[in-house]
Amino acid sequence: MNEFLEMGGYGKYLWPAFALGFGVVVLNLVLALNSLATAKQDARRRMEMKL
Amino acid sequence: MAMVVALYGGLVLAPADYQQKDAFRMVYVHAPTAWLSLMIYTTMAVAAAVGLVWRMKVAHAAAAACAPIGAWFTVAALGTGMLWGKPMWGAYWVWDPRLTAELVLLFLYFGYMGLRAGIEDPVKADKASAMLAVVGVVNVPIIKFSVEWWNSLHQTATVMQLGKPKMDGDMLWPLLLMLLGFALYFITVLLIRLRAELLRRERNASWVREVLT
Repeated sequence: MNEFLEMGGYGKYLWPAFALGFGVVVLNLVLALNSLATAKQDARRRMEMKL
Repeated sequence: MAMVVALYGGLVLAPADYQQKDAFRMVYVHAPTAWLSLMIYTTMAVAAAVGLVWRMKVAHAAAAACAPIGAWFTVAALGTGMLWGKPMWGAYWVWDPRLTAELVLLFLYFGYMGLRAGIEDPVKADKASAMLAVVGVVNVPIIKFSVEWWNSLHQTATVMQLGKPKMDGDMLWPLLLMLLGFALYFITVLLIRLRAELLRRERNASWVREVLT
């Protein structure tokens, strides 16, 4: 397990890189879903105002 | 949508268990992010060009939806590359042609988003930002071929070349699978963002009412 984490001494560079890469993957999904939710909310609010 | 996300999870998360050691493993996160940063820019420029030529609002919306995703993946490509450069080249950053061109790509994304944010009239914002996106696309082949045109520290292409890839099959398949996963992921996120963008733009259209009720 430790050996796996160390990655032949490159672990301290590898894991932050994977964290960054997949962090960006998760972040973009969250940001996109957030912006969709906000857009839906705004559209609903405008609809109610018009009624 | 859930299916695409699930598919993405299977495709991308599975190769994470891959048994290889050493720094080359960086390629499984660096190459897909860098590749996406270019693919997203190309998508954005094509969408912007379609918007300019045929005055399609949806195309402009798609281009606008691409920009933040692309900027994030450029950041990821640069960041993972820096973390690879430190142990391999001895420095986080060198002013190498490919690295510099990738940095220019990041600024192009920033410029595009800044231009859109700075112009209030949506039609004018669409036009101006689309011009920038189309002109900036010249940077994409520069990044792609920078490693061949100039003496670059960055290694040359191992996968995307004519003939046989220079990579062993055992190392290659997770990478290809990863690229596929990232591509599907991009399409998913782009469609979510595009829906948001269209809702925002067409908030007075009657279909919005139908969609939301």
